[in-house]
This record gives sequence, C-alpha cells and structure tokens, in this order.
Amino acid sequence: MEADIAIIVRQIDERARRLFGRSLHIREVDAGSCNGCELEISALANPYYDMERFGLHFVASPRHADCLLVTGPVTRNMAEPLRRTYEATPNPKIVIAIGDCANTCGVFKDSYAVVGGVDQVIPVNVFVPGCPPEPVDILQGILSAINRLPAK
Amino acid sequence: MLTLFIVTVSAYVLGMLAALFSGRSAIGRGLVAAGAAVGSIAGLALGVVVITSGIPFALASTRFLPLTGVALRLDGMGAFFLVVVGLVGCAASIYGFGYSAQYAGRYSLRTLGVMLNLLLLTLTFQVMADNALTFLVLWEAMSLTAYWLVVTEHDQRGTVRAGVWYLAMTHAGFAALIAMFLLLSSTDLTTSFASMRAGSALLSPAARNAVFLLALFGFGAKSGIIPLHVWLPMAHPVAPSHVSAILSGVVIKMGIYGLLRILLDIMGGGPAWWGGVVLGAGAVSALLGVLYALMEHDLKRLLAYHSVENIGIILMGMGAGLIFHSYGLMTLAALGFISGLYHTINHASFKGLLFLGAGSVLHATRTRNMEEMGGLIKIMPWTALFFLVGAAAISALPPLNGFASEWLVFQSLLGGSNIPTPEVAIVMPIAVGMLALTSGLAAACFVKAFGITFLAIPRSPEAEHAHESPRPMLAGMALLALACIALGLAPFVVVPALGRVLVGLGGLPDTHAVFSFNLYLVTPSNFAIMSPTLVALGLLAVLGLVPLVMLLFRANWRLRVGDSWGCGRVGQTPRMEYTATAFAEPLRRVFAELYRPTKELSIDFHPDSKYFVQSIEYRSEITPWFEKALYGPLLWFIRLSAATVRRMQSGSVHMYLVYVTVALLILLLIARWS
Repeated sequence: MEADIAIIVRQIDERARRLFGRSLHIREVDAGSCNGCELEISALANPYYDMERFGLHFVASPRHADCLLVTGPVTRNMAEPLRRTYEATPNPKIVIAIGDCANTCGVFKDSYAVVGGVDQVIPVNVFVPGCPPEPVDILQGILSAINRLPAK
Repeated sequence: MLTLFIVTVSAYVLGMLAALFSGRSAIGRGLVAAGAAVGSIAGLALGVVVITSGIPFALASTRFLPLTGVALRLDGMGAFFLVVVGLVGCAASIYGFGYSAQYAGRYSLRTLGVMLNLLLLTLTFQVMADNALTFLVLWEAMSLTAYWLVVTEHDQRGTVRAGVWYLAMTHAGFAALIAMFLLLSSTDLTTSFASMRAGSALLSPAARNAVFLLALFGFGAKSGIIPLHVWLPMAHPVAPSHVSAILSGVVIKMGIYGLLRILLDIMGGGPAWWGGVVLGAGAVSALLGVLYALMEHDLKRLLAYHSVENIGIILMGMGAGLIFHSYGLMTLAALGFISGLYHTINHASFKGLLFLGAGSVLHATRTRNMEEMGGLIKIMPWTALFFLVGAAAISALPPLNGFASEWLVFQSLLGGSNIPTPEVAIVMPIAVGMLALTSGLAAACFVKAFGITFLAIPRSPEAEHAHESPRPMLAGMALLALACIALGLAPFVVVPALGRVLVGLGGLPDTHAVFSFNLYLVTPSNFAIMSPTLVALGLLAVLGLVPLVMLLFRANWRLRVGDSWGCGRVGQTPRMEYTATAFAEPLRRVFAELYRPTKELSIDFHPDSKYFVQSIEYRSEITPWFEKALYGPLLWFIRLSAATVRRMQSGSVHMYLVYVTVALLILLLIARWS
C-alpha cells in the first residue's frame, strides 16, 4: 500500500515537472462541501501519505497554482468566486472535482442553494468519485488528469 | 557675466510688469512664466559661469551703489545657491503657467505673478549680498514676498493662520539676525563682509559664541530645524504648489546659505561644540521630521515634514564639517561641507519635483488627503512616473541623486573615527545610527506616499475622475526629474565643482586632487569608494539579464491581463484597500511615546440589539506637543502681555496726551543725568 502511494506520487511529480517545469502546486477550493472531502485532502499532507516529500504543494493563492482541487456542490454564493479562481490560475492548469457532490451534487441535488456540479461552472479535467474519496483515489485522479494533458 | 546678470534682473522685472498689466489672461500668465523661467535660466548660467571660472562677479557700479548702502558680489558659494534658485525657479515657473490657470477668477493672478518674480529676484540678490544691510533688507523682502505667496488661497481654511505663524517665526529669526549682524559689524550695518571677516577674529569668544547661537536661531527659523519648524508644515502645504516647490526647494535653503556664510566664511569656523550643536540639531530634525511625516496623510504636509528631515541631513553634513574643521582635518571638513551642499541641491531638485507632483495630484483630484486618492497611475501615468523618480531619489535609492549625497554624509560622519576624542567618538556613531534610521523611515514613508496615492483603485469619485496634467506642468516636472537623474549619475562632476566652491572659505583647501574627475567617489585616505555611475550601469545590466534568463529557461512569455486577486471576492471596493493610516500604524505603535496618539472610538448600536452595529466612528490624532509644550506657554505669555498693554489704549485723546507728557518728562530726566 505504502509503496503504491509512493509510486503514484512520484509519477505525478515526474509528469508535472515535465509539463510545468516544476513540481505540482495545488490550490484547494471548497465550493460548498460538507468538509468530508477536505478531511481526505488534508490527509494527503499527513505523515502517512506525505505528498510534500515529492514536492506536491498546497498553495495559498490560485496565482501560484497549476492544479485546482474543487470539492462540494457549487453553491450560489461560491459560483462566482470559483469562476474567478479558475480565471486567476495561470495556464496550463488542471481542474479535478473531488467527491460525488462535485460531480452530481449528491444529497444536495435540486437544492435551491446549489447551482450544480463543478462542471456547470468551470471546465473539469477529472472527476474523482467517492463520498468521500480516499486519499489514494485523489492521487490517482491527479495522476490521470496530468496524464491526459497533451505532452509538451 | 554682466550681460547674464542684466538678463536675469530684467527678465524678472518684465515678468513682474507682465503680471501687473495683463496678469489675468493666458498670455499674461505665459509672460509671467516666461519672465521667471528666462530669469532663472540666466541666473543659473551666471552661477555656472562663476563656479567654473572661479572669478567672483562684483557689481562695479561705483557711482551709485555705495550711496545706497547696497553691495552686491557673487562668489562661488553664492553662485552655487544661485544655481539651486535657477534650477527650481525655472521648473516651477514653467509648471506655474499651467497650474495657475485654475486660479483665474478665484484668486489674484496679478499678485501671484508679481510676487513669484519678485521672490526669485530677491533670492538672486540674496546670494549676492555683500554687506549686512543688503543681506537683511533682502532677507526681509524674501520673507514678505514668501508670505504673500503663502496666503494666495486666502479663503481656504488654515491658510491665514499658517501665514501668521510663518510671519511670526520668520520675524523672530529676523530679530536674531539683526542682533547677530550688529555684533559682527560692531553696529555699522554697511560694513562689508570682507571687513567683517577680518574683524570676526578680534571678537571675544563670548561674542563669537553669541553670534553662533543667534545665527543658528535666525537661520534655523528660516530652514525649519526642530523645534523652530512649526510654521513649515503649515505654510508650505497651503501655498500654490509651484510656490511650495520654491519655498521648500530654495527658500529654506537660504538658511543653510546664511549659516555657511556666517559660520564658515565670515567666522572662519569655531570650536568643536558649534559643530556638535549643528550636528545634533540636524540629527534631531532629520529623525523627528521623518517620524512626523510618516503619520501625515495630507500629501503636501507629508512633503513639508520631509523638508524638515532633509534640512536635518544637510545640517548633519555641515555639523560634521564644522567638527573636523575645528580639529584641523581640512579634507574631511571639506567632505562634510560638500556632502551638505550636495544634499542641498539634491533636495532642491527632488523636493521641488515632489511638490510639483503633489500639485498635479491636487490639481486633478482637488484634495490633499491621501485617503481619498488611489489608482492615479492609470489616469495620470506621467505624473506618477515623475513622482516615482522623486520618491526614489528622496528615499536615497541608487542611482538617483539622494543616494550619492546621503552616502557622502554617511562617509563624512564615519570619518569621525579620525578624531581621538571620546565625545566625538560617542557622538558620531550615534549620528550615523540616527541618519540610517532616518533613511529607512523615509523610504517607508514614500512607499506609503506613492502606493496609497497612485496604486490600487480610486478611493473617491474625485480620484476616479482625475485627469492628466497639462503639458507645461509635465514639462516642469520632467525638468526636475532629469535633474535628479543627472545629479545622481554625475557626482564626479558635481563633487569637484562643490569643492571648488568651498576653496578658501574658512581656510578650506583645494580638494580637487582628492575628489578628481573620476568614475569613483573616493573619501579621504581611501576610506570608502563608490561609483553611482557604475551602480546605475550594474542595475541596467541586471534589468537586461532578466529577459535573458527568462529566455534561457524557456519561460512562458504570454501575457494575460486580469483583475488583482482578491480571494474571489465579488464586491471588490475601495473600502477593502490598504489605507495610509493602516500602513503607518505599526510605526505609530513603536513610537507611541513620541506621537502620544489620542483615540476616540464611538459605536452606534442598533436600538434593539447590541449585536447589530449601525455605524462605527474612529478618530485618532497625534499630539503636536511641540506646539503644546514649547509654544503654548510662549503664546500664553504673549497674549497676556498684549492684553496688559492693550489697557493703555483707552481711546481717549486726553489719556494719550498724558502718555506723551510722561514720556517726554522721562526722556528729559534721562538726558539730564546721562
């Protein structure tokens, strides 16, 4: 298990270095999540997964990011900020929608407060299913998103 | 030289006449500006000719002038100050052509034009005065014309009060100067400076010390050294901006001129404590000036406090020079005086530039309050560029002129290690520390001044609807900006010229060999070496390297323009911007003991619940305790004595007849017994 994680993260890093010329920088956007997905995402930085050892960073501004991790159904209040965040991220960029809500709105479907899935607001490269998805799934999602980008 | 002199005087006089006869029309304004500009340029040329040729220019009309008690002679030092007058005067008058257009119909353009030309004329004569009487008459004329110019916008709040403060302080200084010249010339004011120079050596030490203290007070009141500075931050901001530039750039420098003329030229230097006092006054003025500037949100008042600061820096150089002079270290003394003079012309150019820039902002937004500005760089890019040059120069950033002269002041202070006296060994490093703190705070202050004024988004409708200044105003600023760059890049021309200006004054040697025409500035005994020119080239090279490195690393060159990142916030309004108050808050806390800020917070709650706030009002002011502690008792005493004296004025003729009789009796009695 642990070896698998190391392999995935190393692959992400290698691909990212080739594509962006540096290790991958990630901006996380909570578009209205129940914070279940956030727990799993923050687990990426814990000593077990420890993705920073391969240079994957969470950053504080989309201006510094190559990759957006978006969680939750997009609420009405977060639709515009999410769009602005996407616009503020420099190209080339990848967007990964984390969790079922980000895809189908999950239990919040048809709520008056919800605009829809993340792809209703900004283009999404990869959906990671799960409620919430495991950290390994998230890493797999990032890897497949990078793999799908056209090679430089 | 005579031709240049005649051109100078006649241009100013024609400018005055033009103002008198057609001051209000655009042509009249143009003639006024042309007169002042031509006069300034001719004056500048005259100064340059005198400096380069080394021959003093004396007005040789023997028939007429001696009868009037007037004596005019332009030597090297006067010529240097004439160059300063010409530089700022020319830029300010060109700028004034555009700036004064807004006064048409509101204020008297006639007075403004006449007084502007008259002020430049008196300044020209001031540096040529060769006896006490001429000097004093011109000094008073300069003060009065400056007063007229300060009160141009007489119906604005605070203008008249500022004018009164200025008038009172300058006359207190004037009284000291009269007393000083009476001491120096043994009560004959028409004694020429040359015979005063010979006579000053014969004065008793006590009289010499008295002359020093009177000179420091009299000229200090004009220069605005702390604690005599209170009028300066009031009077300079309320004057029309091109006049502020002349006041801050040139008129306060006349105090420096006077101090140098009396202490160095006529008295030939003095004991070391004179230098110590000048250095101390300079250090205190520099540090307190910049600290008060930091708390100021009125753009022009901020600049006025910076004038106090820079006068302090000039005095620090001069003070160091006087100390070295008293110990006989003539090369180091020359370095101190040169650094002071160099900073004088540098301050004239960048402070003039900054006041003109502030004037453009005021012209465009109709406010001096920085908290209502912002985003002006997009609307007025040229003004912003020129202001930035001035701000970088006053913050002493290389390769601009402020850096070169402050570096020299530092070097002359560091030269204190050559004097093996404990007092000097203690004082000099403290002065170095204070100067270093001053420079750092000045840079912080101009980050605030430029950032809050020009960057981000407009904070008020006035700032939103601002406009770029008309061409003449931009031309005036461009001139001074170029001067800032040129003076910074060519210290190898300026420093030897200043050395030549000072040769012979108080026995200073020819420093031409020490400061040669070289790319490098070398302080005596190779203590330090620096070349602003090479620094500038290095900076250019680094700037050129950036694209090269980007090319090498195959960086992404595509350009995308977007909004400032505001965390995705939808309503990005000016209320979310950094304010000038907030920028200065950390320093306000650090120096709370000095500022003694008063805070007033009143919160208006909703009547039903304390959890809903309807409005919050926050008011914070810093206590001007110079005015309170120092001038409060003085004003109280003056008011009290005025009230007492007023009782004599009963309005009854009989009473006045009694006064006359009593006065006559007393005089007769005195005459009887004396």
